[in-house]
Amino acid sequence: MSEVKIVNATGLVCPQPVVLAKQALESHEQVMVIVDNDTALENVKRLGTKLGCDVKVEKKNDGTYEINLARKAGAVGTKEEFVPSCDATPVQSGPFVIVISANTMGRGNDELGYVLIRAFLHTIAVQAEKPDIMIFYNTGVKLALKESEVLDDLKELASAGVEMLVCGTCLNYFEVKEKLGVGVVSNMYDIAGIMSRAGRLLAP
Amino acid sequence: MKEQPRYFVMLFKSVSYVLKAEKILQKEGLPHKLIPVPKHISADCGICLRFEPAIQSKIKAALLNKVEIEEIREMAN
Repeated sequence: MSEVKIVNATGLVCPQPVVLAKQALESHEQVMVIVDNDTALENVKRLGTKLGCDVKVEKKNDGTYEINLARKAGAVGTKEEFVPSCDATPVQSGPFVIVISANTMGRGNDELGYVLIRAFLHTIAVQAEKPDIMIFYNTGVKLALKESEVLDDLKELASAGVEMLVCGTCLNYFEVKEKLGVGVVSNMYDIAGIMSRAGRLLAP
Repeated sequence: MKEQPRYFVMLFKSVSYVLKAEKILQKEGLPHKLIPVPKHISADCGICLRFEPAIQSKIKAALLNKVEIEEIREMAN
């Protein structure tokens, strides 16, 4: 048995624990990494798995974790690229988009689905985190009509600065273009373009 | 400062009661809104009907002997 290399990575922030663990594994069969936060724990565990190590974690009473990494015989080398994810929230590049593709939420029962979509839209309207853009198509456009029971919620969102695009083809198909109560009539170029650029796309 | 409108919420034993009540109120032309049960009332994923206090008696009369109402509460703003 070769000796266990101990890497004390407490107090270090990402990506340092992973970098040190990787270095240690290049020269040692067995490495024990001590970390003190969940991000480091997850990253070091992923590194171990990726490099073909046996990974064992022990939680200590002082809140630290001892991660034991043991390289398996014949496991791949440590040359492979490994990018630790240091941030819990992914980088958001495009707009936050909500797509309303039906006047129901979920599939299976339309009566229930109609209850859920109304509750959903009301909640979105009153919560702090609002989308940048909302897109309505297929039977979803019915929710944006003057007679809609969620018109007030949608108007509130619109006045809070949420851009609302309503599929023109769909309004035409249901012959309700004159009844549109909120948002602007849009087309597939804009709809497909925005969905492609979205940083986050939420489809209830 | 804009004054927040006051609302009451009507709670029912089940979703089907809410739907039944909603149909009756729609027929009677009594304004109401289906919303999720406010968090301070229950953490369940439930729904309820919201209405303005002024029409409480009309709503109660419309539902009398048709749908059992569990509770009417004032909404916290």
